[in-house]
Amino acid sequence: MANLFTILSLAIAIVSLAIVLMLKINKMKKLQAIVDKLKKSLEEMDEQAKLIVRTDIELNKTHEELDKKITGLYALQRLSRIISTTMEESQIFKIIESTSFEDLGFEKAFALLWDAQENNFIPHLSIGYLHGEIEAIKPQVNSDRDIYLDLIKAGKTFSSISVPHNAALRERINHIFKVNSFVISPVLPKEGNKGFFFVGTENTDIAITEGDEELLTILSNQLGQALENARLFEKTWHAQQGLEKKVEERTRELTLVLEEVKKISKRKTDFISSVSHELRTPLTSIKGYASILIEEKLGHLPEAAKERLEKINRHSDELVHMVNELLDIARIESGRAVMKMEEQELKTVISNAADLILIQCKNKNIELITNIQKDIPRVLADRVQLERVFINLLGNAVKFTPENGKITIKAHTEDNVIQVDISDTGIGIPPESLSMLFEEFYRVDNPINQQVKGTGLGLSLVKHIIEAHKGKIWAESKTGKGSTFSFTLPINE
Amino acid sequence: MNIGIGLSTEKDPISAAREATRLAGINIHSEKIDLAIVFSSIDLSCVGLLKTINVSLKGHVPIVGCSSAAIISNQGIFKHGLVVMLLSLTANVYFNIACVRDIKKKTALSAGRELGEKLLSGFRDIRRDLSVIFSDGLIDEGSNLIYGLQERLGKSFPLVGASASDNMRFLRTYLYFNEEVLTDSAVGILWGGKLNFGLGIQHGWKPLGKPRTITKSGGNIIYEIDGEPAVKIYEEYLARGLSELQKEIRRISILYPIGMYLAGEQEYLLRNILSIENNGSLRPQGNVIEGSTIRLMIGTKESCLNATRQALNGAKKILFAPIVEITKSEIKNFVFVFDSVSRYMLLRREANQELEIIKEGFGKDTPIIGLYTYGEQAPLKAISYQGQSYFHNQTIAVLNIGG
Repeated sequence: MANLFTILSLAIAIVSLAIVLMLKINKMKKLQAIVDKLKKSLEEMDEQAKLIVRTDIELNKTHEELDKKITGLYALQRLSRIISTTMEESQIFKIIESTSFEDLGFEKAFALLWDAQENNFIPHLSIGYLHGEIEAIKPQVNSDRDIYLDLIKAGKTFSSISVPHNAALRERINHIFKVNSFVISPVLPKEGNKGFFFVGTENTDIAITEGDEELLTILSNQLGQALENARLFEKTWHAQQGLEKKVEERTRELTLVLEEVKKISKRKTDFISSVSHELRTPLTSIKGYASILIEEKLGHLPEAAKERLEKINRHSDELVHMVNELLDIARIESGRAVMKMEEQELKTVISNAADLILIQCKNKNIELITNIQKDIPRVLADRVQLERVFINLLGNAVKFTPENGKITIKAHTEDNVIQVDISDTGIGIPPESLSMLFEEFYRVDNPINQQVKGTGLGLSLVKHIIEAHKGKIWAESKTGKGSTFSFTLPINE
Repeated sequence: MNIGIGLSTEKDPISAAREATRLAGINIHSEKIDLAIVFSSIDLSCVGLLKTINVSLKGHVPIVGCSSAAIISNQGIFKHGLVVMLLSLTANVYFNIACVRDIKKKTALSAGRELGEKLLSGFRDIRRDLSVIFSDGLIDEGSNLIYGLQERLGKSFPLVGASASDNMRFLRTYLYFNEEVLTDSAVGILWGGKLNFGLGIQHGWKPLGKPRTITKSGGNIIYEIDGEPAVKIYEEYLARGLSELQKEIRRISILYPIGMYLAGEQEYLLRNILSIENNGSLRPQGNVIEGSTIRLMIGTKESCLNATRQALNGAKKILFAPIVEITKSEIKNFVFVFDSVSRYMLLRREANQELEIIKEGFGKDTPIIGLYTYGEQAPLKAISYQGQSYFHNQTIAVLNIGG
């Protein structure tokens, strides 16, 4: 019985244990399922984390590039603003040298321009290199000059990433410029020496991007443009300087020539003046003796001799007249003749002069018309000399105007001068003679001049008188129709 | 305390030194100058720079500082530049400066001990408050330098440090000690007496993916994670091969560092990876602990800037205020910003935004001087006085000092 009880309770215990075990197993299974589930979601979460990291790293990369680009653009804008306003080549490089490319990820920069005369690349700027390093780079670049010249010719930017086909070249550039990555862009001004711009970094962490290439291309273009502008400016400036220098030289030459001319002119005046004086004395005695002889104070003279003596007398008069005119010209030219400036009524001066030629006009039946502006102001002039001007011009007019002709004297104010025109209906002056009309001893070649004697000094004297009055004189003429001589006198204010 | 900061962006070190020192001299409004702190970009790092500063200060002022990828000041962040801060301390604030050279030869641990001893000399009866350390950013065992220092200064003594940086080329970083420009060295300041300060340190990176365990490591090398070559974590997440990763790991790990969970600390300690061995081992900057749980970390600009806000809030809470005599209005303070270069890389153009947040947080007139670092040293949980200092990566440490 006791045994049975023991067996029974044992069985019950076993059964209950089995039940408990079953329950436990069941629970464990459930727990395992939960753990599995958790594990799975943890793994899933980890996978998600991986995705997040990968996306994030891409995002960061993009952001970095964007940042670099923005910084680059800022730097570029700043730089181009300064260099575009710089007109000196060396200054342009200096400005670039003073900026930093570090924001763009490059601590080193170098610019070389090809010098065709030297057959060499010459460094113009360097950033991040010591003096010794610059000196070492120069010959190395020049020993590879053909490579760089080809690059300039191709006109394309290239970098560590864009020369994959030519690893040797890439390594060589890295070695020469002591960098791990670089961008090189040609600088191509239309004027003058071309070259290239190099930026690089030793930093192995920095990868060159297409953005870097674009940025440097823009910068190089800007640099090229700025150099071109500077060179054009310098050229223009030099040309202008040259021109100014030339003008200065010519002016100096002309001044010298003018001085020489003045000297010669003075010598001529002096010569004429002294010669005339020398001539006048013997002329006076010739004339004196001729008069004595004609008056037969020394005895009777045959008619023929008298006739010849009269000719001597007349010619002597002409000679004296000519010598006097020459002396007058010389005196005015040298400034020795003092003009007695007084207020003159032009009308009076004209009528006095007209009176003198009135008889000649009547003889040739020439009509003399005077047309003087009513309110014409007085002029400041030397009366005697001014009358001389009128007598000379009117005399000429009568001389060259055929019978039944017309002579007009016109006087009017013009701007701030008084202008007098003396017109005739004479034979006129050929155009080629007009410019020489007022020169001493010049006589127009025409039939009248061949017949009538003259000194060729009258118009020259007139010109000198008018100029001594600060006026101007000129002539206009049409052959066969007549001539007009005009002169001006300043209005007395 | 009187503070004067001068900044120069001159390219030539001598002119930069003259300008920055002159400006700092104008701003300090004090005849007595006790200490000069100098940060500069790497292109200005030369003996001439320090000699000129020294001469400008008439040769009596101790100089401490280092090189940086960029300098931080109230006027902005400058990749090329020099910032000089002159301090005139109140009578009850003491300090001592020291330097240790040849860290590699001495080992980082003993170099840390040496620096600690030198800093302590002359501080026997004075209460010690805070130590600020600048060290070569390229030494392998930055953590050991801290351990060595802690052995002498005390494990939970407030220690804030910055590893010098260069222009992100990881070639050479410089420390400034009086007229000397040093590499493979560390310089430090130990403050004592009655100094007020607050510290905030934060990184803003978040864990991603499933937790893993360092199954085999030694010093600053991680051999295996979850029983497999350590590099697998990066291979799997980034879908890149070993050789590609070896080339890019420095930049990649700045964006995706390893986060190490430390028992008893709230934040993950971040580790950048310096290199990957051919066998797949990872060599992080700073020590790792075998058996610790790690995660891959991810950061965004927003999380970065949030971290800045948190750090500055931490720094605004002055920890000790035992100086009852000084009324609040008389307390003048300045701010050290030790910001990781990785954050600079992530924030990029928004780095200025970070500076604006700090400026706004402390008020426009508070002088700010800082640098970008290759590593930061500070307590992990800065709010707690007992927090032990660790070697960090990716963080911003904001140290607010007043007195």
